Amino acid sequence: MEEAQLISSAQDGDKKALAELVKKYEKTVYNFSFKICRNPEKAENTMQETFMSMVKSLGQFDGKSKLSTWLYRIVTNHCLMELRKKKRNFVSIDDDEADVPEGAFIPDWNSIPSNIFENTELKNILDEAINKLSPEYRIVFVLRDVNGVSTEETGKITGLSVPAVKSRLHRARSFLRNEIGKVLEK
Amino acid sequence: MNESNVTCKEVMNHICDSLGEDLDSPKCVAIKSHLSECSNCRNYFTSVEKTIKFYQMYNLDVPEESHKRLMKKLGLDE
Repeated sequence: MEEAQLISSAQDGDKKALAELVKKYEKTVYNFSFKICRNPEKAENTMQETFMSMVKSLGQFDGKSKLSTWLYRIVTNHCLMELRKKKRNFVSIDDDEADVPEGAFIPDWNSIPSNIFENTELKNILDEAINKLSPEYRIVFVLRDVNGVSTEETGKITGLSVPAVKSRLHRARSFLRNEIGKVLEK
Repeated sequence: MNESNVTCKEVMNHICDSLGEDLDSPKCVAIKSHLSECSNCRNYFTSVEKTIKFYQMYNLDVPEESHKRLMKKLGLDE
């Protein structure tokens, strides 16, 4: 069944269609929640809150935006609220620290196989790097680069302008590249 | 530096725009030209691409128990 039909049936009270919708987006929502909240328990909690919110408000969904955009927005708001409660200090990347110093030699990463991060220890490097990134940057990076959401959609989800999305994405990419480089370029 | 009309610094600052968008803009054409001549910037470009790839490959399955708890919470368990 097409997504629009599933939504329409679910809005009419078809539990099977609703279950299909949940299953369709479950992995996406869980992974996005985990990558932003950085904690399996919180990711599960956010996933539950997100789908409960979806079920509650599905009747109002008019199809003008994508269902995925709607779900991403719920996850984003929920995670930001949770993270702000903790008031943790993140690395500031509003200055030039994210950039590579001019004239610095940059090693070739071509010989590094893309699947090396299946190794648990190296997965920790990815975790540590993204953990340092403030959630506002992390959300833009995960939406745009990891989940392939367009710049415009990312702007709608986060409430940012297109130039602001691009600027945060640039900073986040450079920061993560440099953090991982500190280990891989040793 | 080389003969392209953009500097290495500019390339590094704008390299992200050339990863997936505005590929035919004058800036990106100049960046692509610069990349073909400057190995340092090419290495930077590759390393940013790889960084993105690493995070794209890092995915988790929803734990079976989490799935069951979700469906139960939503009243959709079979």
